[in-house]
Amino acid sequence: MQEVLSVWGVSKAYPGVTALEDVSFSLRRGEIRALCGENGAGKSTLVEILMGLVAPDRGSIAVNGQTQVMRSPQQAQGLGLGLVAQELSLAPHLSILDNIWLGSAEVPLLHRRAKFRLRAQQALATLGLADWDLNRPVGSLTIAQRQLIEIARLLARDARVLILDEPTATLSDADIDRILGILRGLRAQGRSIIYVTHRLGEVFELCDSVTVLRNGTHVTTGPVSEITRAQLVELMLGRSFNDMYPKAAARADRGARMIVNDLRVSSAVHNFSMVAPRGCIVCIAGQIGSGANMVTRALAGLIPSATGNVMVDGRPMRLGSVPHCVGRNVLFIPDDRAAEGLFPQLTVLDNLVASRLDAGVRMGVLSWRELRRIGGSLAQLVGVDRNRLTSQSITLSGGNQQKLLFGRALASTQPGVLLMNEPTRGIDVGARAEIYRIMQELCELGAALVMTSSDLEEVVGIADIVITLYRGRVVARYQGDDIAMASILADITHPMQSVA
Amino acid sequence: MTQYSTAGTDVAVRAGARTRLDRARLFVWLQTIGIVILVAVILATPGFLSGPSILALLTTVSFIGCVAIGMTLITISGNIMSFALGATVGVTAMVFILAANWLGFGAGLLVGVIFGSLLTGLQGLLIGSVRANPIIISIAALALIYGVTQVFSEKGTIYADQGTVPALAKGKIAGVPIEFVVFLVSAVIAQFILSATRFGRNLFMVGSSFRAAEAVGVSTWRTITGAYLWAGFFTSLAGIMLAIRYDSANMDYGVAYDYDAIAAVLVGGTAIGGGSGSALRTFAGAMVIAAVQVMLLLKGLRQEWQYLAAGLIVLAVIVLQARGSGR
Repeated sequence: MQEVLSVWGVSKAYPGVTALEDVSFSLRRGEIRALCGENGAGKSTLVEILMGLVAPDRGSIAVNGQTQVMRSPQQAQGLGLGLVAQELSLAPHLSILDNIWLGSAEVPLLHRRAKFRLRAQQALATLGLADWDLNRPVGSLTIAQRQLIEIARLLARDARVLILDEPTATLSDADIDRILGILRGLRAQGRSIIYVTHRLGEVFELCDSVTVLRNGTHVTTGPVSEITRAQLVELMLGRSFNDMYPKAAARADRGARMIVNDLRVSSAVHNFSMVAPRGCIVCIAGQIGSGANMVTRALAGLIPSATGNVMVDGRPMRLGSVPHCVGRNVLFIPDDRAAEGLFPQLTVLDNLVASRLDAGVRMGVLSWRELRRIGGSLAQLVGVDRNRLTSQSITLSGGNQQKLLFGRALASTQPGVLLMNEPTRGIDVGARAEIYRIMQELCELGAALVMTSSDLEEVVGIADIVITLYRGRVVARYQGDDIAMASILADITHPMQSVA
Repeated sequence: MTQYSTAGTDVAVRAGARTRLDRARLFVWLQTIGIVILVAVILATPGFLSGPSILALLTTVSFIGCVAIGMTLITISGNIMSFALGATVGVTAMVFILAANWLGFGAGLLVGVIFGSLLTGLQGLLIGSVRANPIIISIAALALIYGVTQVFSEKGTIYADQGTVPALAKGKIAGVPIEFVVFLVSAVIAQFILSATRFGRNLFMVGSSFRAAEAVGVSTWRTITGAYLWAGFFTSLAGIMLAIRYDSANMDYGVAYDYDAIAAVLVGGTAIGGGSGSALRTFAGAMVIAAVQVMLLLKGLRQEWQYLAAGLIVLAVIVLQARGSGR
């Protein structure tokens, strides 16, 4: 067995936090290794160390048996390591060819020479994309297609070890299958892959072996075939994990809180109708481009051109004005935390009370005491450390940031309608269970929850009502025991659809 | 392969370590060192610590300072800066003199303040409602203000009628020039608006993330318009105070004020990208800028050198801010 990558006793501490403590593992040629752990387990730090982005305090790394001190990403690339980061790093206005060679150290000033064209073409061919036009601007591609370009970029540089950080987080199921197929093909060519993911399904579907990190330490490494899903979750959490999706107890009051009729968003949603009862979770399931997230955005008042009849608690609600919708107690949690959810420079407290300043305002002047009290109880409610109320929110982990957004929605004095897009995207299992718990509590208070999700397991696990969407039109509605993964999958993929 | 880790590797690895935190610390150190050197040079300048030059400093800083207080609100709102505030100073001074000659001193004050607020507020309305580029809008406003004033005042300077401005308005309060008192009070008012009002919170939210503010239901156009209205208000104070001091008004009054103002805002530590900052720190920033200018004057350097100094300070702070945030 040939080891392409070995890591020995790597440690890294930041002021106040130990990110990694004495972590060792090795990767063989042609192996796909899942790297699992909660947020803050040290996965990102490990990846950054491997790619030369961060220098470890102790420990060493060997590539093909030779000990290396990674000083820069360029050096890591030169040694055959390549990273596809969670946030795609493509320049949308440049062509596929330009993007593939972007930032490569080996390319001279002019990369349009035949040699580089050919190598880019070959990289695409390896992925089964030989027919793609290299001159096409990347901006015209779908997210899944861009993900493939990121991989092609690594292949063009002849990466032997590919590190993929949550590559499927933003993809729909059909696109994920396509990517997994391509990764299997790369394994067959003898390339090795480190696959960082929160999606346990993909660990068992794709990976040969799994390394679990917890609180910066190495918990276990072993073949996927010798572990069950429940065991894996337990290893990641360090405790038993019996009920991921709490099923709600029967609730008496299920009157309609929100009724939507004939909702339209030009060229995205056609004639959408639904009823969201109190105490229920309505899931709008659809692939990317199905218009599911446009429905929630329109109902939140974020799409000025949206039309339709919406009644909240028996009174009509006007679309196209967020302040108006917030005034009717219809709140929104966006999927893009970084761009649309969080106020990065502001404190945790500021973020928590953002939509409920009214509670602490008298004649336009704030009562900080009152706001601190509200913020403190909200932090407790969603499980964020109260001592961090004055920290900048950007310093929190992804899971905690998402909890802040939920806290914001909870700040409402009476339960209303909560709209969510992909509420658990990019969040570890522990925080995920917390979020489900919060959602359940909201239901018990009588709120109506409307969410979109591309994680079918989550849809089936959490929803009371499922509405499937395909190309902006409702395909079917399911309730209670009728909710089944197979029919939902069939609905949202409808006619055969593929990435290319 | 055996497991080993030599001490040599460790040392090499440590030496290569450079994290963002180190950079942030470096930023703070550089800032501290810069201010210490500055203060030392200023205090070592002959004549700086004399009565007249301190009085000159307190008066000069007040005009630029009020503009800087206004600029702080614009910067926090995420709209970087306005190039039109200097011209607003000049045109407000003119409007004040005209109104005061015609309607009397008190009415002149009111007209001047309202005019300056609306003139700038209108730009905010454009920026907030159609999301026009704030820099372009401010440059267009600058050109418009100069163009219109050229047409209406052929001769350049207009003078206050005899006795229009009461002597009291040029006086001192407890030995401190009245301009400085106005500046100080403005800073306190602006700080109160920023940290203790609902509008202030909304302003920080819009500046930190426009889209997130929109999503939580903040009326973004109102907030931005409000920021510009207040910016116009504080800027008009500078114009009126200049007019009172010189009993006249001229479009040259506000020249380069926008630049000194943004320098004061940045030295005060307000983030150029918006979302964080403070009016009291801008107050301190304005003091630093003015001290540098007075020092240059005392050393006998011409006006051009003051522009150069402001330019260098802005450049240095911008570069340091970018390094400090690790970008």
